[in-house]
Amino acid sequence: MKKRKNILPKLLIYAFIFTILFPLALTAVWAFVGRWPWPRLLPQSFSLRGIEEIFGGYSGAFQTLGSSILLSAVVAILAVIVGTMTARALVLYDFPGKSLIQFSTILPIIIPSTVFAMGTHVLFIKVGLADNVLGVIIVHLICSLPYTVKIMTDVTAAFGGKLEEQAAVLGADSRQIMKEVTLPALMPGLVSSACMAYIISFGQYFVTLIIGGGNVKTFTLIMVPYLQSGDRIIASAYSIVFILSTLLVFIIFELAVRRFKTDENHYYFV
Amino acid sequence: MSKKPYLLLLPVIFLSLIFIVGILYGLIQSFGIIPSLGMKVPTLKYYQELFTRPELLSSIGMSLYIAFVSSILATILGVLICSLLVLTGKGKGKVMHLVKIPIAIPHIVVAMFVMLIFAQSGLLARVLFNLGLLESPNAFPTLLYSQNGIGIILAYLWKEIPFVIFFVITIMANINTSLGEAAENLGASRWRAFIDITLPLSMPSIKNAFLIIFAYNFGAYELPYLLGATAPRAIPVQAYIEYIHPDLLHRPYAMALNGIMFLVSFIIVLIYHRTVQRNPN
Repeated sequence: MKKRKNILPKLLIYAFIFTILFPLALTAVWAFVGRWPWPRLLPQSFSLRGIEEIFGGYSGAFQTLGSSILLSAVVAILAVIVGTMTARALVLYDFPGKSLIQFSTILPIIIPSTVFAMGTHVLFIKVGLADNVLGVIIVHLICSLPYTVKIMTDVTAAFGGKLEEQAAVLGADSRQIMKEVTLPALMPGLVSSACMAYIISFGQYFVTLIIGGGNVKTFTLIMVPYLQSGDRIIASAYSIVFILSTLLVFIIFELAVRRFKTDENHYYFV
Repeated sequence: MSKKPYLLLLPVIFLSLIFIVGILYGLIQSFGIIPSLGMKVPTLKYYQELFTRPELLSSIGMSLYIAFVSSILATILGVLICSLLVLTGKGKGKVMHLVKIPIAIPHIVVAMFVMLIFAQSGLLARVLFNLGLLESPNAFPTLLYSQNGIGIILAYLWKEIPFVIFFVITIMANINTSLGEAAENLGASRWRAFIDITLPLSMPSIKNAFLIIFAYNFGAYELPYLLGATAPRAIPVQAYIEYIHPDLLHRPYAMALNGIMFLVSFIIVLIYHRTVQRNPN
């Protein structure tokens, strides 16, 4: 009796994990399909048509992938910097208007980006930020800030200002405190907020479409027509490249931070 | 007090201002004020017409339907799986890494997952056909591009059940180890302790997860655009069509549809902010 009770929750958890992983596996297969006609359960033939479409050069998808990664990496770095500054102010200080700032940092999560994008487009046309990369970076930054602020607020609150005070008492100057105390303590948060901001920017469709006005092409933007036309092979190939490139960027973020950490340790022991 | 917090907040204040002014620009146009087109007199005409033009009214109905069904289901299923993860002690390590995957995958890719599996020639129809349960692809129910919105709802569930879990699990696990186990020591059964203590105390966080995904599903463009019916269209899709209409006089209709989305989501923000202020973790 007791044993049976324990099996059901586990089964449900495994079923849940299966529903997460299955579509990914199916997409990976479709990316390499040559022909897979109805009603076959397995592909009839495999080909590299989808992958060649992206890396073949004639579609320009590979260049777009590169510029897209660059754009989103810039957004991620800016979002981390602004998020860290905001979190520091919110956690370590009390000041008039604090609640208003907290309120406005959650707005972009809940107010639909459709509303935000069309209104901001009108504004950006007036100030010359429509149809260019800078405008797109700004709106992506706005969309990702709620997440980086939340993550950095949690991390900052966890270590608080006490360690910094101790270092100051022990005679460290502000640059040393920053390098030896604050940055290392914030590191895990910096990586996760960079990743989060990157995903939000890289996957953004509607906002980029409106503000970029067709002048700013991102990987997500050029992928959508294949989804609409129902070309499953090419759409799957794009999706797989999308996911793998995102993973690669995350690994680079992680390594960049790890390098920083060993540098720190090295410095520490000398 | 020092000026320091305000210096740190300078960039976020600047970006928030862009956000707020952008939304105000849209709202002003929804009242029919576009000076460059010679429209200067504020009017409620466009909002009134939203509620008299049947296709616009059914857009609002469609968006509410999709948002309600998908976010209620995602919240219930998310909380259920989250509870199982907490109670079986599997809510750490590997499983949580897997739960993060859907959060990192954009909606347009999820739309494709749904197409590959649930289209009339998709994998599910093929499996049913090979089992002899289906005579032809056309006998498979239309889940995509259909008024029942099932394709859109399935896509939202795939992305948002993990989101709910992720949003709720830390607090739920903490409450369960501190208070839930105390109740167990006092003789309550594991499930009783969970249902009577942990679940009610996790409610603020569950409520916030629901509000966030409801607002998103109500106002997002991508999934209804890729998987939705052509009539009625969800509000964001209809708004974009009005927005890019060659006749610029259609612009206020787009902005009025945005105004409705803004109103609904602004009410949600107020509730959310109040819950957060009252229960600061």
